[in-house]
Amino acid sequence: MVLHTLRLATVPLTFTTSRLFLKPSPTLSFFSRHVQPRKPSFLLRAFSNSSAVQDTPLTQTSSDSSAARPPQWKAAIDFKWIRDNKEAVEINIENRNSNADLEAVLELYENMVTLQKEVEGIREERNNVAKKMKGKLEPSERERLVEEGKNLKESLVTLEENLVKLQDELQHVARSIPNMTHPDVPVGGEDSSAIRKEVGSPREFSFPIKDHLQLGKDLDLIDFDSAAEVSGSKFFYLKNEAVLLEMALLNWTLSEVMKKGFTPLTTPEIVRSSIVEKCGFQPRGDNTQVYSIDGTDQCLIGTAEIPVGGIHMDSILLESSLPLKYIAFSHCFRTEAGAAGAATKGLYRVHQFSKAEMFVLCRPEDSESFHNELIQIEEDLFTSLGLHFKTLDMATADLGAPAYRKFDVEAWMPGLGRFGEISSASNCTDYQSRRLGIRFRPSEPLQTGPKKGKANLPPTKFVHTLNATACAVPRMMVCLLENYQQEDGSVVIPEPLRPFMGGIEAIKPKLR
Amino acid sequence: MGLHTLRLATVPLTFSTFTSRLFLKPIPPNTLQTLGQFSRHVHPRKPFLVRAFSASPAAVQEIPPTQASDSSAARPQWKASIDFKWIRDNKEAVEINIKNRNSNADLGGVIELYENMVNLQKEVEGIREERNNVAKKMKGKLEPSERERLVEEGKSLKESLVTLEEDLVKLQDELQQVARSIPNMTHPDVPVGGEDSSAIRKEVVGSPREFSFPIKDHLQLGKDLDLIDFDSASEVSGSKFFYLKNEAVLLEMALLNWTLSEVMKKGFTPLTTPEIVRSSIVEKCGFQPRGDNTQVYSIDGTDQCLIGTAEIPVGGIHMDSILLESALPLKYIAFSHCFRTEAGAAGAATKGLYRVHQFSKAEMFVLCRPEDSETFHDELIQIEEDLFTSLGLHFKTLDMATADLGAPAYRKFDIEAWMPGLGRYGEISSASNCTDYQSRRLGIRYRPSEPVQTGSKKGKASLPATKFVHTLNATACAVPRMMVCLLENYQQDDGSVVIPEPLRPFMGGIEIIKPKLR
Repeated sequence: MVLHTLRLATVPLTFTTSRLFLKPSPTLSFFSRHVQPRKPSFLLRAFSNSSAVQDTPLTQTSSDSSAARPPQWKAAIDFKWIRDNKEAVEINIENRNSNADLEAVLELYENMVTLQKEVEGIREERNNVAKKMKGKLEPSERERLVEEGKNLKESLVTLEENLVKLQDELQHVARSIPNMTHPDVPVGGEDSSAIRKEVGSPREFSFPIKDHLQLGKDLDLIDFDSAAEVSGSKFFYLKNEAVLLEMALLNWTLSEVMKKGFTPLTTPEIVRSSIVEKCGFQPRGDNTQVYSIDGTDQCLIGTAEIPVGGIHMDSILLESSLPLKYIAFSHCFRTEAGAAGAATKGLYRVHQFSKAEMFVLCRPEDSESFHNELIQIEEDLFTSLGLHFKTLDMATADLGAPAYRKFDVEAWMPGLGRFGEISSASNCTDYQSRRLGIRFRPSEPLQTGPKKGKANLPPTKFVHTLNATACAVPRMMVCLLENYQQEDGSVVIPEPLRPFMGGIEAIKPKLR
Repeated sequence: MGLHTLRLATVPLTFSTFTSRLFLKPIPPNTLQTLGQFSRHVHPRKPFLVRAFSASPAAVQEIPPTQASDSSAARPQWKASIDFKWIRDNKEAVEINIKNRNSNADLGGVIELYENMVNLQKEVEGIREERNNVAKKMKGKLEPSERERLVEEGKSLKESLVTLEEDLVKLQDELQQVARSIPNMTHPDVPVGGEDSSAIRKEVVGSPREFSFPIKDHLQLGKDLDLIDFDSASEVSGSKFFYLKNEAVLLEMALLNWTLSEVMKKGFTPLTTPEIVRSSIVEKCGFQPRGDNTQVYSIDGTDQCLIGTAEIPVGGIHMDSILLESALPLKYIAFSHCFRTEAGAAGAATKGLYRVHQFSKAEMFVLCRPEDSETFHDELIQIEEDLFTSLGLHFKTLDMATADLGAPAYRKFDIEAWMPGLGRYGEISSASNCTDYQSRRLGIRYRPSEPVQTGSKKGKASLPATKFVHTLNATACAVPRMMVCLLENYQQDDGSVVIPEPLRPFMGGIEIIKPKLR
């Protein structure tokens, strides 16, 4: 489908400079002064992308205002810092296995700075001309000045247009630069992740065990077959005690996490795609995990991190209101495009699931300690449920672009015969807040400088954001069903959950 | 947008594409022949052709070539087991029903297409028979010239057959599309007329609470108590989305937990459901996943959409199956989030939580024998009334008038509760008996257990014929509207809100929502 193909472009669409390069345009010559055409990297990307654009029917290009135009929002990326720390950023990009094009970013940035100066120069010239014309002048001289002013104005219009385009390009190219990395994070791929903690031991079974799919079928708890007909593969119905177990898991988790001072939330599950981008996810692209709504610029959330991140978008918070700690309940929707393999069986990887997600906004100096608090909460929750798990400090190549550091918890799943990820806690420092525009104003006034009212206010800073899974229901169910199965085919409910499911102590086979 | 416009066609897609292919494109000779044959069976002056044409120029011409191959646009993906014979034999009743229900279904078009189809079927059978005769004749010894003549005859019969069979399929497809808009029949007790004709079924329960202080609406209460955030949601998602916060989150959970536990006591099986379903399931349940005023969000690049109610995925669970009579009734209480575009919704009643794009709901759904559906309809409305009475609401139950029924409903009871902030009654639940309207589309049958008494004992032949089950659906708890009722009715002079007793155990014993100290 054409519309789909359009959205599949891996390179951000705006960056498709095909408009700039393919059209006969007076702008072209000006523009190429600032971007050296010999740069192969991003030019190639732009061109290789253009085939997608050519497919687009005319109606698409003109009416689809949302997707294909200049960026709808601006990430407050600190380009100066990137330039001044080029080597560190380069190493970081390499360590994180990112394909970000630092050189292109730096070149675009330098070009932009140069162009900015040029624009300012011409503005000054124009002001000078205007100033000169205020006095009494020979008619010929006046005419010359009028002509000069006109020329300057024309140049200015062109240059300013170029500047906007250059800024837009810089935005798009720069957005792929990943967050910097905590110095303690192990460098390397998945195998390099360091074990931070290990709790419990695998339960030994004295009988042949079932996996959660079999248990779900035998106990009439999960229906994948009907869901495959009604919705597609990897969808499911929960039935009978499984419904109560889901509710108990969420209720218990909420009540535990609220005790730690978190504010409970439910969130919209349809959001503008710009919010998805600002949180560091790709709402489009070949392997996008994001379902888009037809005919709008909205998509379904893959995690409550997205709508919670958006709550304080474009605002300046009081330092005294920080930290803001949320525990949000939502359904999550993921295409799971490109997911395949053994670990995709049953509830382990599904298109829709319930999740309670923690989210913290705090001062930069506090984010590391909140990261520790979040992983501690996760570990406490899973320990209370009697799970056998380990906590990993994920290696550089395993971090998503927004994360400065990420701790995963992997629990033992007897049916799967291995550890499986059940939660993830990330410190995103200012990566998301620079995109979402979430700042705070430090409360202490600056000591230096004369007292001049507003000038005395300390400058705003970007908050740090952190997110952490409190309870991803289906994976918890895999753990609970598989670990707590009994020889008679029943499943025992862990004690903490019982009060939340009407005192049920075990799920027993139904009489049919 | 091309794709969007495409889906906007009010006439079913298959129908318009099909006709436009026949009429708008330069037609190859063999197709023309088909067309000639085809028009023998459908009179071109018929109104449904006009509908096809009016839909075709705008919608179809914009489709880029790749779209045309889109599977959804080719043929109906599924078949409703509509009882055409019954419709023909009860033409007057069906006609009156269509009129009473303010439906634009084209009964004349349906009956004519049906007759044409029956005739064409007969013709096809006739030619098949002729062909068999020819084949039979060729088994004997024949003069070479006679054999050649028969070969020739067989060949031309086969060609006619192929053409006619193609026409038959097309005719059947058209009949499907046109007939699907015929609404369910109506219970004889349902009042005939528009909204004002709906009859009060049950004497109003309770009375409007009298307030001794100036009251707030739920939006104001939600803001003052830090419970609901529409402003952030409109930035993040759009208007009519919201975050619940603090005690409101616990209240939602309490409402759902309490409802589930109450309804489970009546023998209902709890479910959670997929919220993304194939659009064909939405159609089979009697909703329009496409069209100008569609309430349905579609997923980009797939044939899936978001559910507007759990009725859809629960209706789909037993799709295309034959149930045991002993398994009936099947009673489900399903929890899901619901998504609605609310296209075309405007006016005063759209304020705050009353009309939103996404909300949580617990929905009851029953599959039963036809003879039991009226009883279960009464049971469902009784459960609703009991639930709302327990929460202390002031409400009335309506037997909705014919023009207010959706196409699937045979009868519908709505409950409207008093909302002080709104200053009027607002719908909080709806219980419909859809008889076999949905089951004929979803293909849900059962086999009666008693063997047929008559006839000789011949094994399988003595199995009784399958019948379509009846389906019913009823709201147990639509969270946002319940919140409107609870917040507005239980507000106190000091700005706090009292939690009704039954919900307290489900929200950690909280008795009251008090203003936060900030």
